[in-house]
Amino acid sequence: MDHSLSIRQLTKHFRRRDGAVVAAIDDANLEVEPGEFVVLLGPSGCGKTTLLRSVAGLETPDSGSIHVNGTPVFDGGRGTCVSPERRNLSMMFQSYALWPHMTAEQNVRYPLENRKTDRLGRPAMKDKVAAALSMVGIGELGAQYPAQLSGGQQQRVALARALVNDSTVVLFDEPLSNVDAKVREQLRIELLATQRRLGFTALFVTHDQAEAMELATRIAVLDRGKVQQIGTPTEVYARPATEYVAKFIGNTNQITGRQHGAGEGFETELGTLHAAPGAPACTAANLLWRPEKGQLSRERPVGRNALPGRIVASLFLGTHTEYLVRSGEVRSRIWTSGPDRFVQDEDVWIGINPEDIMVFPAGDAAVTEPDAVRVGA
Amino acid sequence: MSTTEAARAPKPPNLSKPPKLSGRPSTFNAVSLSIAVVLVTLVSLPLLKVLADLFIKDGALTLDPILNTLAIPDLWKMIGDTLLVVLASSLLAVVIGFAVAWANERTDARFGLLNDVLPYLPFLLPPVAGAVGWTMLLSPNAGLLNAWIRGGLGLFGVQLESGPFDINSWYGLIMVYTFYAVPYVYMNVSAAMQSMDSSLEEASRLSGASYFTTLRRVTLPALAPSLGAGFLLCTWFGFGMFSIAAIIGTPAHIDMIAVRIVKLLTFSYPPQEDLAIGLSAIVMLFVGVSYYVQFRILKNSRFSSIGGKSSARNITRLGPWRPVVRGAVMLYVFVSTILPMVGLFLVALNGYWTPKIKWDSLSLTAFRTALVEDSQTREAFANSITLGVAGGLIGIVAAAMVSLYVARRRNAFTQGLDAAIKLPASISHMVIAVGILLLLGREPFNLGGTWLILLLGYLALYLPQASIASDAAVAVVGRELDEASKVSGGNDWKTFFRVYIPLMTPGLVGGWALLFIRIVGDLTASAILSGTSNVVLGFRIMEVFNGGSYATLAALSAFLVLVTGTVLVAVLWISKRFGISKSRIG
Repeated sequence: MDHSLSIRQLTKHFRRRDGAVVAAIDDANLEVEPGEFVVLLGPSGCGKTTLLRSVAGLETPDSGSIHVNGTPVFDGGRGTCVSPERRNLSMMFQSYALWPHMTAEQNVRYPLENRKTDRLGRPAMKDKVAAALSMVGIGELGAQYPAQLSGGQQQRVALARALVNDSTVVLFDEPLSNVDAKVREQLRIELLATQRRLGFTALFVTHDQAEAMELATRIAVLDRGKVQQIGTPTEVYARPATEYVAKFIGNTNQITGRQHGAGEGFETELGTLHAAPGAPACTAANLLWRPEKGQLSRERPVGRNALPGRIVASLFLGTHTEYLVRSGEVRSRIWTSGPDRFVQDEDVWIGINPEDIMVFPAGDAAVTEPDAVRVGA
Repeated sequence: MSTTEAARAPKPPNLSKPPKLSGRPSTFNAVSLSIAVVLVTLVSLPLLKVLADLFIKDGALTLDPILNTLAIPDLWKMIGDTLLVVLASSLLAVVIGFAVAWANERTDARFGLLNDVLPYLPFLLPPVAGAVGWTMLLSPNAGLLNAWIRGGLGLFGVQLESGPFDINSWYGLIMVYTFYAVPYVYMNVSAAMQSMDSSLEEASRLSGASYFTTLRRVTLPALAPSLGAGFLLCTWFGFGMFSIAAIIGTPAHIDMIAVRIVKLLTFSYPPQEDLAIGLSAIVMLFVGVSYYVQFRILKNSRFSSIGGKSSARNITRLGPWRPVVRGAVMLYVFVSTILPMVGLFLVALNGYWTPKIKWDSLSLTAFRTALVEDSQTREAFANSITLGVAGGLIGIVAAAMVSLYVARRRNAFTQGLDAAIKLPASISHMVIAVGILLLLGREPFNLGGTWLILLLGYLALYLPQASIASDAAVAVVGRELDEASKVSGGNDWKTFFRVYIPLMTPGLVGGWALLFIRIVGDLTASAILSGTSNVVLGFRIMEVFNGGSYATLAALSAFLVLVTGTVLVAVLWISKRFGISKSRIG
């Protein structure tokens, strides 16, 4: 079976205003199976939108290839570049991009009018438009113009327009970022249900990791045009491939350590820390752990890893309490939901299981800078 | 998965003709590009023709046109007169334009109507009609305004036989030039004031500077680029202006170059083309110099763009001065716009040009004589309207396609294209018109005296305006609306007709109206390209001015104002009524 979407060695450069050439997409590879919901996640300027627009045909990459359902739509080597209107994709835009001079119905009908093959008659089109509108829950609003609709309703029209043509691949460019939190939550749930029911392949761009976690069957984390890791939400959270991914998804605490031999513990300023067997061996390492993986106790814990510290601040957050713990120069955030309460200036121990220590070679933790300004954009 | 697969069978994209990586030619782009090339040719070839004819005659290099021009006996007086009028009126326009813009943008004396009226003066009252109107008002003996002032002075025992003012004088000519130059400054400066960040001024005030120190040290320097641009536009306008110079300057024996060029080409037989070309070159030289000076000034100073889009602008409270300032601004608008119209209509309705208006027997007789009973005028009127409608339509649609082409692919080539369309005609209408005549009116085209040469001439002259209007219309349509159509399977033509055209329509209708009004009220191209075989309204007005009744002249001009005014008001109303301002566009 063909991949729904296959991106190989895709590269695109932009020239910055000062003349410097910046890679917006740097050797990106991604295969998406039919029915998958893949989220491209990264900070603004990481190249995720450029990647999505390249799939849509709205940007022309420099090299590499893109196949949709096994058919090449872009191939830098062969000089193939199919124009967007002939890629048979659908896309939902961040601004919704509803045409203000057309009613909701006319907006949704537009893609049907443009079909090259098996064109529908007027009654069939009307039925299909009505079905799409009621599927997104606004069947009664077809005669309204976009300006007469609320933000959430506009979004539903945009979704109906993206789905009406039964495209096998639907692209989403941060479509949920313009509505308020409550509506966004609701739309997210509906979008997911619709996707599961219709079975289309979704490629979804967002910078919101909570949104990514909720929607994705797999997340592709991007940084500076490179795909850093592709995996299920659990994988990227629990086993991040790079320090960047670890820090971008969720919260982390960090301490540097030195290792004298493979399998041995890491010497840190607070004593030796042990990672699980199989962790990468490196002389200088950044050791990371998640706030919820640290256990606070008044007595030294029995486990292999224990860091002494003092409570600097505590913050009750309902589901858990966040403690800020200082150990020498190192500050850690620890989340506990246990019955114990600690007070400020209390001396405590932080216990961490070796399997919760994530080891990354030091010096590979550059933070993403905002991307180049698009030339002429 | 297999069931959904079957239900949503992938439709492979059509790959029979794999398009090239870059360029991706489509018929739409090919057509747009061809139109752009035609337009560039239309505006630049006439200029090049004038330049070439300056040095080449009958296929041989020659300096005759230059030498002959330099031998014109009163050349230097003519240059001096022209420079004096243009520079004086431009300076005055900068002062007045800045003052009015400041009152309207930065003080509580503002009133919204001004923005709707002042920039449209040249459209509401075409210069040829305005010049006639001012003649009716301020002619020393029969001028209505003069007579009224004399009557007023008579109450105080001051008896005058004529005057006190004379429109056919230096100050008269400069005044009318200034009225028509002010909108250029006003539009530039008020736009800059709207985008200027008030915090620049607030910072100055907090640093201990007084209001006027702030105005002098901060506000004026920040606005200098827009003032400069306004001044530049005024000089361009002034050098190319023909109708005001001919109607007001000629009787005052003030020799303007533009008038002489027309005389050499149309009123002398055989036409003295080499002199006309030489004088055109002088106009181009002046325009070039003023452009260069402005460029140097802007380049050498550290003008940066003025802040971002700022929030609330601070509005100066004028206190007791508010009614005074507001009154002054309203008086200015009344005097520059309404008064000449009053003059035109009164003389036309009165039937005779006399200070004694017979209020009880005003009639439309003069209109009937001028418009209905005169076959030449009827023909001129029909020609002008047809050319205005058709030229406006062709111009705005062509400009829209080029604007879209340029907006979609911003690169050095398209921006060059854009500049090539906009620049030449801004250099000088007069010179372009001369170039069109030399290029198309003679062998091998022999289009002289046809409506086609007029159409091409109007298009070449007024394309920049069409282009600016269509740029604005294209900019209204967000990029994602275009992309959404593409992703929905719409090709370029479909996107153009279904997405761009409907959304651009209000802007394009406005652009069409401006073109129509320019063309119908034109006298620059008409004076050079029109004749008895292709007579148009502007040309007819000149003919009547040179040897007809004043009532007819007033009636013709008043009718011109009625036509342009009606179209303008209708379009403003339509764009407000059916405008898409209420809806959100991408």
